[in-house]
Amino acid sequence: MLRPRGAFFERTIEPLELHVSEALIEKLKNEIAAVEHPRELAVDVMMALQDHHGYLSDAARDQAAELLGMSALEVDELATFYTFIFREPVGRYVIHVCDSLICWMAGEENIVDHLRQQLQIDFGQTTADGLFTLLPVCCIGYCDRAPAILVNRRVHGPLTNSRLDELLQKYRAEAAEKPGSNV
Amino acid sequence: MPTLTIDNRPVTVPDGTKVITAAEQLGIMIPRFCYHPALGSVGACRVCAVGFKEGPIKGVEMSCMVDAQEGMVVATDDPDAVDLRKHVIELLMLHHPHDCPVCDEGGHCLLQDMTISGGHGRRRYAGAKRTHLDQDLGPLVQHEMNRCIQCYRCSRFYQQFCGYRDLGVTGIGTRVYFGRSEPGTLESPFSGNLTDICPTGVYTDKPSRFYGRRWDYERAPSVCIHCSLGCSLTVSARYRKAVRHEARFNAQVNGHFICDRGRYAYAYASQPERPRDALIAGRPATLAQAATQMSERLAAIEKGTGPDGIALMGSARSSLETQALLARLHSEKGWRTPCFSADDAATRVVSSALNTLNATNTIALTEIEGADTVLLVGADPIGEAPMLALALRQAQRDGSRIITVDPRPVTLPCAHDHIAVSGDDLATAVAHLIIGALEPSREIALDADQQDRFKTLKQETRDIPAAAELRAIGHALTTAWRPAFVCGTTVPDPDVPPLMGLLQALVQTSCMWSGLFFPLPGANTFGAHCLGGSDALFEPLLAAVEAGQVKALVVVENDLFSEYPDQQRLAAALESLELLVVMDCVPSAITARADIFLPTQTIYEAGGHYLNNEGRLQVATPVIAGGLSIMDTGGGNHPPREFREDIPGGTPRPAWQYVAGLATGETDPPDVKPLLDEALTAGVADGERVSLPSASREWPSIERIGAGPEGDAGGLTLIESAATFGSEPLAAFSTVLAELTPLFGVTVHSETAQRLGWRAGDRIVIPDSAPALEVVVTLDDRAAPGVLLVPRRIGIDRTALRRYMAHLLAE
Ligand code: SF4
Ligand code: SF4
Ligand code: FES
Ligand code: FES
Repeated sequence: MLRPRGAFFERTIEPLELHVSEALIEKLKNEIAAVEHPRELAVDVMMALQDHHGYLSDAARDQAAELLGMSALEVDELATFYTFIFREPVGRYVIHVCDSLICWMAGEENIVDHLRQQLQIDFGQTTADGLFTLLPVCCIGYCDRAPAILVNRRVHGPLTNSRLDELLQKYRAEAAEKPGSNV
Repeated sequence: MPTLTIDNRPVTVPDGTKVITAAEQLGIMIPRFCYHPALGSVGACRVCAVGFKEGPIKGVEMSCMVDAQEGMVVATDDPDAVDLRKHVIELLMLHHPHDCPVCDEGGHCLLQDMTISGGHGRRRYAGAKRTHLDQDLGPLVQHEMNRCIQCYRCSRFYQQFCGYRDLGVTGIGTRVYFGRSEPGTLESPFSGNLTDICPTGVYTDKPSRFYGRRWDYERAPSVCIHCSLGCSLTVSARYRKAVRHEARFNAQVNGHFICDRGRYAYAYASQPERPRDALIAGRPATLAQAATQMSERLAAIEKGTGPDGIALMGSARSSLETQALLARLHSEKGWRTPCFSADDAATRVVSSALNTLNATNTIALTEIEGADTVLLVGADPIGEAPMLALALRQAQRDGSRIITVDPRPVTLPCAHDHIAVSGDDLATAVAHLIIGALEPSREIALDADQQDRFKTLKQETRDIPAAAELRAIGHALTTAWRPAFVCGTTVPDPDVPPLMGLLQALVQTSCMWSGLFFPLPGANTFGAHCLGGSDALFEPLLAAVEAGQVKALVVVENDLFSEYPDQQRLAAALESLELLVVMDCVPSAITARADIFLPTQTIYEAGGHYLNNEGRLQVATPVIAGGLSIMDTGGGNHPPREFREDIPGGTPRPAWQYVAGLATGETDPPDVKPLLDEALTAGVADGERVSLPSASREWPSIERIGAGPEGDAGGLTLIESAATFGSEPLAAFSTVLAELTPLFGVTVHSETAQRLGWRAGDRIVIPDSAPALEVVVTLDDRAAPGVLLVPRRIGIDRTALRRYMAHLLAE
């Protein structure tokens, strides 16, 4: 099934712009200065800024461009290529569901249906409470734990519906306990 | 040189030729989307598949990725290849809209052609298509992203070929998107080429959108007259309106591309304000009346003053035909020698530059791409000759070193070393380069006489801040294999081009190939030099007018006010004339003052010959007959049902015809080739370079270099130089280009700004300027300190600007 572009870029939450610490900028500048081609560090810089903001906002993209001596477009070219860099705001927990062969054989479609039902969102969307974003991903190298998902880049599997429920419950509880803090 | 067989026909090609190119030599066009001769092969689209039957490779392969090799047998009609191509096309069409009838590319679309010829006339896929949002890319290029087939030509062209960084490819998979980060005007002055290279309708020409299909247009090969490079164009016109310029391939000059100034410059020819009727004292008259009156009044004046009382003014934008007839008018009537530019400073540099060129040291634009070092002195390619910047970029991508020596902060779309040298020091800078090239070098042998001269040169050349750096570069030049020497002809003084010639001649002895390239101020400046004697200066002419010696002035296709800096003085002088005759195709400050005005045809109607900056003779073919466009007379409806024998607005005649009327009365266009032959004492053919009589290799005049203006360091100088948009008199009428023309501004070094108490972004309102002129201050530390740099801008009050700047300089 083709997923229309819009679904991936639906904007659900307004970003909270955080001030990037001088220390982080200094650190990135030093790292960039140490390599031959600043571009080599584009992904690292984008990741660092994303970890800070929760996603790579336009402002963060521009900051990355400035640090790396690249144009905004050149940063965007890379940012939009990678599954793990978000150019739109995402929920506190980003769930990547592996949709590649082994997971599919092991019941990926059930996992997806269950998540859709539980979270009331489709791929590319974020729950109204801002907690979860659902995205597909191709093989993440945990075929031995198929069907597998990533939540904030941490792997979980093999999964069943009840195991999924437990996971969601755990993250909800964590969010209730420590509101606001990301990752 | 492998020999291979393609579709049963043998062909021998140079090593490294791709099979797709080898096939072209046999006239076989293998389908392609991603391959483009200028951009090379990437193997992205898979539509150029052919069958390899015999030889080192077997099976179906991409002809754009495989080098032609000895003994290959290739079948483009191999059933497997044909089938593959058919499926590739079907795949590419999956997401493509089915609405060719409303797409402006329809009719000249590669995808359309391939889809039909590939046998995919009917869609089988009935599912949903991926769609994209389009972006507003500015006034030149229309964006319709749904039509994309991911060939990557646009991003490769924009970024790799041109070196601009605001358009490219984002996303992955079906979301791959070609565009900008955010909607906005494209930054590249070569962006219009996207409309030529995109094989589908993603990028189409915005100003001419929906004006016609390819087959509706009258099309003809032409030449760009919006700078001296003379790029090859194909002009499209419909309903008597030229509405599109496309790049026409020219292996020596522009290759496959042109710049946006040239591409979108045509609007002047059909602007509503274009003067189309003859005027006597500002009132409409017939051509015959005006022409008769012109001859009679000129004859009367001549009777009173003698032939000296009549002066002729031509221009660098006229065709050779017009220039030649002005020269003939002078020789037949004895009227004053025609002058072709009111900018004497530039005329002096041009003469010395063209006296430096000869048959063996001139190089063509595309040859610069093959240089391994390019030295530019007093030349700003992006402003003066945009396509030169693209050639430099190709050289640089190939590993060439580019060096700019200039008072202006020259920017190029490629890495280059910039040495800021004040305008007065440019000659001295080249002297240092010469010293550097000769001093520690064993590569260049000098005879005894040259040794002497060199010694004097060394003693006399005064020190300048960048001397050491320049000498190092001079030395590096002697180790280059293929150095090219570019010298501007508006900013440097007349000593610079011959010095560059000397440097080139010296370095020539130690390298494999080298040459000179001089961008000139106007499209046909070279022609004026050959035929008209470009040495005639304007200042004496003006003085003669003021002194009452010249009573009549005939001005042909030249708005003197945009060339001559002191507009007030010029206006007063023109006022004192008994008769001012003006012939032009555009309205200007001078057409309004004419006693007799004759409307001329544009290049689209008259065609003509032009000599580009290297002296290449090029022909523009007429595209339309002339007259008001029925799009305008009909106001979008059926044109008026009114019976008349002539074409409304079709009065204008080629300028040369009016001039001929004054001289010999001939009505056929003059054959310029014999005239050129005569002037140059050498044969010449279309598309070939004329050779100027061999230049002398004078050693630099020592006084100039040694005793140049010394106390310079503290002084300020004003430099007015050409910008990409807004400077060229015809292109300046283009409304779409006007949108791209930046605010008028002055660029200075931050030290200089400090001295003047300026800050970046300051707006200076020029006192007593009409129309009111505001100047925005920009700081750039790559400019030479002390230089106030402003762009040439048609239609501004230069007198007030200069007055204000002069007052600054005086303080
Ligand atoms: S926009 Fe045109 S040139 Fe660019 S990739 Fe798509 S089809 Fe090719
Ligand atoms: S570089 Fe000059 S001649 Fe070529 S297209 Fe541009 S303006 Fe015309
Ligand atoms: S297929 Fe899902 S982790 Fe490999
Ligand atoms: S032209 Fe050969 S793969 Fe596209």
